[in-house]
Amino acid sequence: MSDPSTETVHGNARRRRNLAENLTSLGFLAPILLVYVVIMLVPFAQSIVYSFTDYGGYDFATAKFVGLDNYVQIFHDPTLLNGLGFTLMYTILTTVLITAIALPLAVVLNKKFFGRDFVRSVFFFLSVPSMVVLGLVWQYIFSPMKTGAVNMILDKLGFDTVPFLSQPGWAKFCVIFIAVWAQIGWHATLYLAYLQAVPADLYEQAQVDGASTWQQFTNITLPQMVPAMGVSVFMLLTGGLKVYDLPFALTSGGPGSSTYTVTQSIIVTGIGSGRYGIGSALGVVFFICCVVLVALQQVATNAIEKRLS
Amino acid sequence: MSKASKSKTSGRMSMGQRKRLHAGILSVVMIALALICAIPLYIVIVNTFKNSADMSLDPFGLPKAPTFENYVYAFENLPIIQATVNTIIVTVVSVALMVLIGSLAAYGMVQKKSRFTAAIGSFLLLSFVLPGQVLLIPQYKMESSLGLVDSLLGLVVLYTGASTFCYFLIVNYMRGLPQELFEAARLDGASSLRIFWQIVLPLCRPILATVIVFETMWTWNDFMTPNIYISSVEKQTLVLQVFNAMGQFTTNWPLFMTITFIALVPVFVFFIFCQKWIVSGLVAGSVKG
Repeated sequence: MSDPSTETVHGNARRRRNLAENLTSLGFLAPILLVYVVIMLVPFAQSIVYSFTDYGGYDFATAKFVGLDNYVQIFHDPTLLNGLGFTLMYTILTTVLITAIALPLAVVLNKKFFGRDFVRSVFFFLSVPSMVVLGLVWQYIFSPMKTGAVNMILDKLGFDTVPFLSQPGWAKFCVIFIAVWAQIGWHATLYLAYLQAVPADLYEQAQVDGASTWQQFTNITLPQMVPAMGVSVFMLLTGGLKVYDLPFALTSGGPGSSTYTVTQSIIVTGIGSGRYGIGSALGVVFFICCVVLVALQQVATNAIEKRLS
Repeated sequence: MSKASKSKTSGRMSMGQRKRLHAGILSVVMIALALICAIPLYIVIVNTFKNSADMSLDPFGLPKAPTFENYVYAFENLPIIQATVNTIIVTVVSVALMVLIGSLAAYGMVQKKSRFTAAIGSFLLLSFVLPGQVLLIPQYKMESSLGLVDSLLGLVVLYTGASTFCYFLIVNYMRGLPQELFEAARLDGASSLRIFWQIVLPLCRPILATVIVFETMWTWNDFMTPNIYISSVEKQTLVLQVFNAMGQFTTNWPLFMTITFIALVPVFVFFIFCQKWIVSGLVAGSVKG
């Protein structure tokens, strides 16, 4: 047995060094903690508190505690519910469609053909401009009037014009269509980067064994792409839930409130008309939706990864 | 290339011929698809050289009498230069801050593995499930109590929130670096800050390039924040200006297309220079995680 007194001396020295190292680390971490607490955590806590009050934005001392009233009101307000519904629909549909198109696109862009670099660049280019700018340009293309680009063509070919942005169903379709159009290139590029890391001899071996292109895709490409899908789907989900720019620029949430988003609701009800309580409650409900969706995605990715490896 | 000549000879073909035929078909299909997808961009560019009447008659054709009047009008009547300068200032300062804060934190994290830093790590992870929307109202209140509404500084303060995203990409990359290098420097008596500046940051150049490109595009394109916070014309960012121009000139599509095109040019130039970093580093950052 060693002498207990020397052990404590050593222990003290180690603890002191440990403390010093932790303090240096803390010094490096201090700025991010400050930013994180001030810009994110404190506002988050405030939102939760506001959501239980009738706070109107002037003086919090006079705000009354109203219990779950704000939450009850959300579920009775069709505009707010529409916002929540369309945001979730947008998120899920764009995630599914973009993944379903971008992955095969990446496989094709990974093959050798004349003009490949040009095609890659064009698809990527589409994701570079701001969504607001794209939304405004498409407002002209999808204009429900005869002056709109698509309707002008339909009209010349003798078809009826389509009420693109003036009918709820079509408006939703247009928003999602444009979102898919704008983002497939970016996600295809992401998949492409991962595809290039797949060892070529896997495919050579499969060709020797006589595997068809489809078999190669399902048995080699897809399993190899699971980590990439994890990244891409996570970005699509979190980006989709934040959606605001595109529908706002294209339809300003209309017709009616058919393409309303959660963000727009919070800005209009919360900041615009000063109903901080309801706006915050909507934010909290939405936070819960996000947690559930992201958790589901993580569970699904892990399950798929386990099954394939 | 000889696409046309190949399509008829499908009877008996060698492997090489069939491969070339496939590549030929692929070329035609993919180039056609890419061109179709690019039509909206074509419409924007081609109509900047027309006047309203010409555009409504024929929005797709090349301009019969090309005119630069839209460009002249846009630069004379809109504070485009001012908006560009504003956007550059906000983007450069914000991105510099968030990358600095993010990489400092990443180094603090890598430098010392303990229960304490691990706790901070999972604490920061929370930011990924925290949707920005739930923060909007309190953030607006905070900015207005500090007098930061309608100021460029106010935008910068909010954008530093993206530091956590930078941190995650950078920390994953840093973990993959040879830690012995840092150890050796520390044994030589170099201070932590010096190791950070002179050894760690230069080694992280690839991921830093990616993060900078990524965040620059995001900050440059952001519309929601300026739309909420900026009300003075002289403080508008470029994207906000395009949006407001739309309200101002609803009937003048060619002028709107011109403003759009002017706003897109800096983004495209930036993209052409930085294309290769955009995705490669994202992959590097996430694969090692």
